[in-house]
Amino acid sequence: MGAFDTLRIAGSGLGMHQTWLDMLGHNLANVNTARRTDQPAFQAQMLIAESQAGGGVRVDGVALSDPEGRLVHDPTHPLADEEGYVRMSELDLASQMSQLIMAQRGYQASVQVTKHAQESYGAALQIGRG
Amino acid sequence: MSVSGIEALGFTPATFSPTLPADVSSARSEAVGSSGFADLVLDGIDRLESVQHRADALSVQAATGDLGAIHDYTIAASEAAVTTQLTVALRNKAVEAFTEIMRMQV
Repeated sequence: MGAFDTLRIAGSGLGMHQTWLDMLGHNLANVNTARRTDQPAFQAQMLIAESQAGGGVRVDGVALSDPEGRLVHDPTHPLADEEGYVRMSELDLASQMSQLIMAQRGYQASVQVTKHAQESYGAALQIGRG
Repeated sequence: MSVSGIEALGFTPATFSPTLPADVSSARSEAVGSSGFADLVLDGIDRLESVQHRADALSVQAATGDLGAIHDYTIAASEAAVTTQLTVALRNKAVEAFTEIMRMQV
């Protein structure tokens, strides 16, 4: 355990939440991505977080949503098949937006931890100061 | 240790005998050696240099747009700031102790 572990742990939290935010941004950017029915649908990314042995969190991997997606009837779509269907991702916009808020709040919480860590270090430096 | 006054009231004071692990006592005898404090300060300055170097490298990355994550730089910068403050505090204490000894009447 080092002197700056609080900062390191908060930094790992910041990194994980930033990756999560990136993934949510990617999913939201592709919310209207349509594919041909003979192709897999856009697969939303889901972050898998894992705690670290020495403290902190890390990104353990990325899970992808079902490539089956859902078939949407849109005959005017340039990618539509003979029956007028395209394959859309089964991405839930409301769920993604909720997760976006969670990731943002998590990021802000980690920033708060770094602030408190700095305050604590500052207080420790005051010890013995006349 | 015997405290007869309160033992008379039926109170047995807890006895505390501090025991130091072997490595602590040996480290202490080394630190008391001639260059103990100087080594400590030099080690601290070495660490300070490496921490500042990392913060510098990240600030260059931030300026050139190569920085992967903003918090990497801000955390490195605050770590460097706290380490600098700690080193300066140590140095001030050392100088204070030195002047205190120099002021001693012989």
